[in-house]
Formats: sequence, structure tokens, C-alpha cells
Amino acid sequence: MTAPAPAEAPTAGASTGAAVLEARGLVREYGPVLAVDGIDLSLDAGEFLTVFGPNGAGKSSLLGMLAGAMRPTRGEVLVRGTPMSWSDGEWRSRVGIVSHRGFLYGRLTAAENLRFYGRLFGVDDLDHRVTEGLARVRLSERANFQARQLSHGMRQRLSLARALLHDPDVVLLDEPYTGLDPSAAGVLRGVLTELRDGRRTVVMVTHHLKEGLELATRVAIQVAGRFAWEGSTGGIDRGDFERHYHAVVEGGS
Amino acid sequence: MIRYLDQIRAIVWKDLLLEIRSRERIAAMGAFAVLAGILFNFSIDTAIVRPEDVAAGLLWMTLVFGGLLGVGRTFHIEEQDNALLGILTSPVPKDAVFLAKVAANFVLLYAISLLVLGVFALFFRVSLDANVGWVILVLALGSLGFVALATLFAAMSAGTSMGETLLPILVFPLLVPMVVFGAGATGRLLGGRPFSEVDGNVRMLGAFAFAAVWIGAVLFRYVVED
Repeated sequence: MTAPAPAEAPTAGASTGAAVLEARGLVREYGPVLAVDGIDLSLDAGEFLTVFGPNGAGKSSLLGMLAGAMRPTRGEVLVRGTPMSWSDGEWRSRVGIVSHRGFLYGRLTAAENLRFYGRLFGVDDLDHRVTEGLARVRLSERANFQARQLSHGMRQRLSLARALLHDPDVVLLDEPYTGLDPSAAGVLRGVLTELRDGRRTVVMVTHHLKEGLELATRVAIQVAGRFAWEGSTGGIDRGDFERHYHAVVEGGS
Repeated sequence: MIRYLDQIRAIVWKDLLLEIRSRERIAAMGAFAVLAGILFNFSIDTAIVRPEDVAAGLLWMTLVFGGLLGVGRTFHIEEQDNALLGILTSPVPKDAVFLAKVAANFVLLYAISLLVLGVFALFFRVSLDANVGWVILVLALGSLGFVALATLFAAMSAGTSMGETLLPILVFPLLVPMVVFGAGATGRLLGGRPFSEVDGNVRMLGAFAFAAVWIGAVLFRYVVED
């Protein structure tokens, strides 16, 4: 394996016009704290970007802005060339979000949770989509279990089904592997592979190098709010990347 | 417009279903309403004060305090798994989220207000014969104005460390007009006076409810947006 390429310009890959998801000069400040410091990115259909980084690097803030859950202090996000407008939520139907918090209601059943979100997103043929969504994450037999009766792994799978119910162009994942057993991780990996092969655009934020690398077509290492390194995964060896990651994070790159 | 209404219906359905299953808020509000009615009954010296003269004021106080117990917790069900973020990152307009929350809270509070009316009719010897329809209308308008304000401020105080303490401090001063017009109209109607005597009060109560809903719908986005 070849060592990962030397640090690339933090703005590499930016702005191609026809990108499915594009960020221009994203900055997010919390008072005096600069969480995201001028990130640009541009992702096309079928691209899977994994963002690694230490705690406090601003990864979740970046994802929050890409999801439209958080207003950037400066910069903008475009979905298929359309700037995210806070007054018009239609672009939100093109984005699916999986967080380590599932956005689920404990006293609703798995099917009711999906049906509720399906109505919010205006999903057609909802009953069929719910059945299909539960089958996709192997929860068909738990359709009538309340979410609070499901294990953490099952809830995470249900959350994945919720995020994909409206067939979004862009899927954003924040630490989706946290707390999953190997079986649940396998289901998640299978669905993510389907998404990538199905030409969806995926951005995943994670600490898990193995899982993060195996599906990604591009990776970035975020440190102190900036992409300190970004590149393609082609030919990257995990061991070398791990050493490179530590070097970058510790400021040795 | 159809989709907008369906999104509202979905949130109302979800809130009411969760309440039916947990019974957390309705039980707290109902128990408070009944206990307050009983305690007020024992606290009044009927040799000095005629119960029917103070019933309307006490009824509205019970509604306000009891209502805050339930409406104040309206966003707690959304906090458990960060579900509010799930709604806010969906294509649902923020004003639709607010209107849905208000509608669900209205159903709960209106049910409680009818319970309170029954409790006070029982303990305070008030007659509902002549004006029961108008009293129910007054309670409906009052409940609507109250839940609109309380829902907006519950969203503001949710997630703050002093949320439950903060809510009454924020809401009570704004409820003064509603209590004045509502208690005034209810008192006269329970006293058997004709509706024409309280027509102005009811109109003001209606205007207050409409304004609270409209202002809440406009401001809600600024409260919940990051």
C-alpha cells in the first residue's frame, strides 16, 4: 500500500456547480469558539465522504450545518445547486439524517414512528414504504414493538430506516456505529453499501477508522474546525492511514 | 395546503397518541384540577362569601395553574431522543409545528377545562342551566389563547436548566388580559346573566386567542431555530 498522499489543500474538491451537496466557506462560531473554520466541499452522486477527527474538531457542527439543523455563521450549503433557504423547507426532503440520537418516540411502535415521519415528508404509498423500510433494516418482526422496547442497535437500525424512508439524495450520518453490536453494524454496513452503489451522496462523521474507511470514496480529517487533510480512498491501507491520521491530528503532518 | 394540513394532523395524532399511552400530562392536570376544586371548596367561609361569587375566578386560576403543569411539558416528549430535531429537519414549516402543538395542547386543556367546570359546578353550587353553551365557548377561547402563549414559551424554556421555573414567570404577566375577560364573562354567565352583558368580554377573549395563535405561529421559528 502506498502511504496516504501528503496533506492536500483544505478546499480540495470544492465547487463543481452540478454537485449534489456543496458547502462554500462554512463557518460556525459559538460565541468566541470557532467550531468550523471555513470548510468547502463538493460531493456528487455516489460519493461517500467520511470525516474523521478528534473530539471537539467540529465534525458534528459541520454535519449539523449540512443537515440544515444549524445555521452557519458564514458561508452557505447548496443541495443540487439550490441554496438552503430557512424559509422554504422543501430541500429538506432531499436529505436524510442519522444521528446517535434516533429522533424516535419511545411509546410509538417501530411502524408508527416510520409512518409519522413519512407523513411529515409527504411520502407516497406510505404503508408499503414502511413495510419495505422495516424489512431493509431487518426489523419486520418488531414492527409493532414500541421503540423503547427495542435494543440500542435495533433503535439505530430503525433510525436508519426513518432517515431513508423518503428516499433522500443525501444521507448524513453522525457516529452511526456507536454502541452497535457486530450484527447491527453488519446491517448498517449493508445499507450504506446499497446507498453508495445506488448513487446516493453520503457524508459520515465517525471515530471508527475501520468502518469509516471501508465504504468511503473520499476521506477527510478535520482538526480544529478545518479539513487538515482530504483525499480519495483509492489504494489507502488502513494501517498507514491510521498512522497518518494520528500524525495529522497531533500536528505532525 | 393539503400536505400542510396533513403534516399538522400527523403531529397532533402523534402527540395525542403519546399522551393516551403515557397519560403523564392529562393525569397531572386532571388530579390538580380536582384537588384544587376540593381545596378551594374547604378554604371558603360560606358564612362570609357566597361560593358562586368567587367560583369563576377560582376556576380560571385552577385552569391557568393546572394548564401550565401539562402544557409546560409539551416539549419534554420531544427531548427524550432529540425528536424535535427530527421534526425541525423535516420539510414541515415551523408554523405548522407550532399550530399542531397548539391543537394537541388545546384538546388536552379543553378536556380538563370541562372537568374543572364540572368540579366547580359540584362544589360551588353554580348553575349551568341557563348559559352552559356560552360558558363552554368562553372556556374554549380562553383555553386556546392560553395554550398558544404557553406553547410558545414552553418552547423557549425547554432545554434550559430553569425551564419549569421560568415558564410561569414568563407567561403569567401575559395572561392577565385573558384572565380578566375570561373570569369576568364566566362569572356573569354562571350568575345567570344574559350573554349580551358579556358580549364585549367574549369578543376580547376571542381577539386575544387569535392574536396569541398568530403571534406564536410567526415567532415560533425564531424560538426553535438554532
